Amino acid sequence: MWYKPGLRKGACLLVCIWSERGIERQMHCSAVLSKMALTQVSSNKCAGGYQKVYEHESVELQCKMKFAVYLPPKAETDKCPVFYWLSGLTCTEQNFITKAGAQQAAADNGIIIVAPDTSPRGCGIEGEDESWDFGTGAGFYVDATEEPWKNNYRMYSYVTEELPKLINSNFAADPDRMSISGHSMGGHGALVCTLRNPGRYKTVSAFAPICNPIGCPWGQKAFAGYLGADKSTWEAYDATVLAASYDGPKLDILIDQGGDDQFLSSSQLLPDHLIAACSAKKIPVVFRRQPGYDHSYFFIYSFMSDHIKHHAKYLNA
Amino acid sequence: MWSYVGHIEWTSYRFRPAGSPPLGMDPLGSRGVLGVIEECFSAEEQEEADEGITVTRNQLQEKVVEMENFAGHLEEIFLTVEENFGRQEQHLEQHYNEVLQTLSQRYDQRAARLDLDKKSRLEVLYGQLLGCGRTMDSSKELIEAAQGVYRSQDRRLFLKAVMPTIQRIEEFAKEEMDLTLSTALEINTTEDDLSDVKTMMDSISVVPAPSAPVINPQMANSATQTSLRVRWNLFSDDTVEFYELFYRPVLEDLPADNTHGTDVCKVKVKETHCRVTDLLPNAQYELWVMATNTTGISPASEKALYMTVPSPPAIKERGCSSCPEAALIRWDSGNNNPVDSYTVEITEMDTHGAQCGAAEAIVAVPSCQCLIQLQQDRRYMVTVRAVNIGGPSEKSHPLGVSTTGTLFHLLEDTAHPCLSISEDGFTMFYGDEELPLSALAFDDNNFARCVAVLGDLLPVRGQHYWEVAVDDYTEFRVGVAYEDTNRNAYLGATNTSWCMRHILTPTRHKYEFLHDGWSPDLRITVNPMRIGVALDYDGGTLSFYNVELEQHLYTFHCCFQSYVHPCFALDNPGGLTVHNGVEAPGYTRN
Repeated sequence: MWYKPGLRKGACLLVCIWSERGIERQMHCSAVLSKMALTQVSSNKCAGGYQKVYEHESVELQCKMKFAVYLPPKAETDKCPVFYWLSGLTCTEQNFITKAGAQQAAADNGIIIVAPDTSPRGCGIEGEDESWDFGTGAGFYVDATEEPWKNNYRMYSYVTEELPKLINSNFAADPDRMSISGHSMGGHGALVCTLRNPGRYKTVSAFAPICNPIGCPWGQKAFAGYLGADKSTWEAYDATVLAASYDGPKLDILIDQGGDDQFLSSSQLLPDHLIAACSAKKIPVVFRRQPGYDHSYFFIYSFMSDHIKHHAKYLNA
Repeated sequence: MWSYVGHIEWTSYRFRPAGSPPLGMDPLGSRGVLGVIEECFSAEEQEEADEGITVTRNQLQEKVVEMENFAGHLEEIFLTVEENFGRQEQHLEQHYNEVLQTLSQRYDQRAARLDLDKKSRLEVLYGQLLGCGRTMDSSKELIEAAQGVYRSQDRRLFLKAVMPTIQRIEEFAKEEMDLTLSTALEINTTEDDLSDVKTMMDSISVVPAPSAPVINPQMANSATQTSLRVRWNLFSDDTVEFYELFYRPVLEDLPADNTHGTDVCKVKVKETHCRVTDLLPNAQYELWVMATNTTGISPASEKALYMTVPSPPAIKERGCSSCPEAALIRWDSGNNNPVDSYTVEITEMDTHGAQCGAAEAIVAVPSCQCLIQLQQDRRYMVTVRAVNIGGPSEKSHPLGVSTTGTLFHLLEDTAHPCLSISEDGFTMFYGDEELPLSALAFDDNNFARCVAVLGDLLPVRGQHYWEVAVDDYTEFRVGVAYEDTNRNAYLGATNTSWCMRHILTPTRHKYEFLHDGWSPDLRITVNPMRIGVALDYDGGTLSFYNVELEQHLYTFHCCFQSYVHPCFALDNPGGLTVHNGVEAPGYTRN
């Protein structure tokens, strides 16, 4: 193991700060301590490496959060690039690691895979468990501005700020090489994170993403709840809108979409809008419609190795 | 051999006793080298003396060697003369034996004739003798009969018989008696004609006409494209003044023994070898030699067949292709008639164009093409020679080969008539003017419906890469196909071709990846202007890339049953350009 999870490091830090005067400092210390504290929940050997699940106290989300980390065999000796996977509605950190079948490809290409949960849990917010497409398991990867969500529902910052720092400090991760991907709501999240942070991610891909949330029932419900009625605030979290004004390093986006996906036919996903925007802005996209496939993890499993290969091309370049 | 005279330089064989001073060392006078050394006072004089000794010794050694050589020469001369004498003796003995044989033959013949003569005469005489004997018998009988009649007592019988008997006696007496011998007693002796024996005796002292020389078979590497080096030997000990070498080409349509037919050329030489020039390349010639001396001309030697070396082949640049690990070279024979084989020579070149490393050769190539194994990312120079029994031809003009990327040319005879190809052979156009029906010449090999063309076969396993430059407005098909892909079908419509297809619709650009009429449903947001095509025979994949964006577009997973050709087609008027000999970029490799 490259680093041991955090208590000792936190203790050292505490010693340094202790020499300073002031209780405020102590408060800061404990925050630093809790930031560094990762508890391993499970560890299973897989494809020559280890599929682990950790729990920690999240600062952004103000609750305990779990995330899954796959460490390939290469991570025992070298720093590896990191592939972030954002899951879709109703998922936890478990769905991806048990159903997607990504570990072998990750091991072959020497890539760490990090799969966080899809929303804060157990915050005790009223109505958080009422719907499967809003609240718990449906964080939509935004930083909510509306009550009662704005304290906890900060998945955008969690994914783009807190989680990478945590991973980089605790694992054999190369901080300069990361990429992002996801399914459905997670696809939306991956696209938004990439388009809003030009140059941060080496590449991006998605499975049946929600391409234009402003235009679909899911997105409209979630944004109204998290961001309020002013639709101009929604645009910052809409991949189609962001693509139309993207100005950053050249991208290479791979999107797979099941042809028999019920949510495609019920106009929740709207890939055509994204394609049109990217065509106009000359953002390179290869969009593949896979006949017969649905919205499930069976579909993800079928094309996961193509996506890992796509990411490996850029992460291992 | 009689005329051998060794001109000997007597002046160089001067000897002096070993102890005397060396020639030309005047300062030492006649005291002798040893004496001189003893009297030396200074080191320099001693050194000079040492040098002098060495020089003298060397000169003496040289002289010894020369004398030994001379002795050797004398011995050789002695041996040769002895040999010659021996031969002459043999020759004379043989000759005289022949004469004696002829004479005894004549004698026998004559004796036989006389014998016959004698026999026949004796027979005649014997016949005569028999005749006389019979006559005598009959006269005896007559006399006895007459006596009997005379003595008979009976007068009556006597009267009866006396008159016929008397008649008989009278008749008998009238008969002429031929008492001459029917044969002559003399024997005629005719003079034999001994003139040929005379000439034989005369010719003993004369040098005989030479026997037929022995012409040697063709020596390896002695022929050139237009000349032959012919050698022959004397037969035994003939004396020869000069030789005449006759030669004529052996042509297929004339019988081989027709000596009166095509021009027989003649060369007169004194040596036992000759270089015949002004000949045709890759041609067979029949040669024979006759030796002449003062007595006459020898019979012709056996006829030997020689062959001139072929003309050099010409490498067909548009027929050659290369890839990272091999090159396919094709050439024209350069000769009307077949040759035995070809030799391909390969030399590696460095970046400045100079030769580096030894040349390698592949021999016994049976046909006008050769697949050569090479190493990646190098430059080579290739030449070809044609070989027949006369030897190898001159080198062909060289062809430069680079093993970076895959290089191939378009097979223009597979092109649809409406497709025109630029002079450099890498750009194709589908013109929008209507061609007259007469210009639409179709044969079995060219595409008849799809305006397509094939590239040269890629006959080497491993990975190949090339690029195609297209524009937004051209509907094209780019990919690979088997050699036997249906020329009446569209590329990608059958299971013998795979291609990326660009279609222009009124609203957007559409891209298909076709094989067996089926394509995945794909959308591409940035239209590729330069397409990278990566073929991997071993991995069974055909991949397409947007080169400018380094973006992977699609990969076919196939199992190639045989080697394929790159293929290109235009579905609407427009053009595209093939760029090959390009190294596959890193992102195209697995």
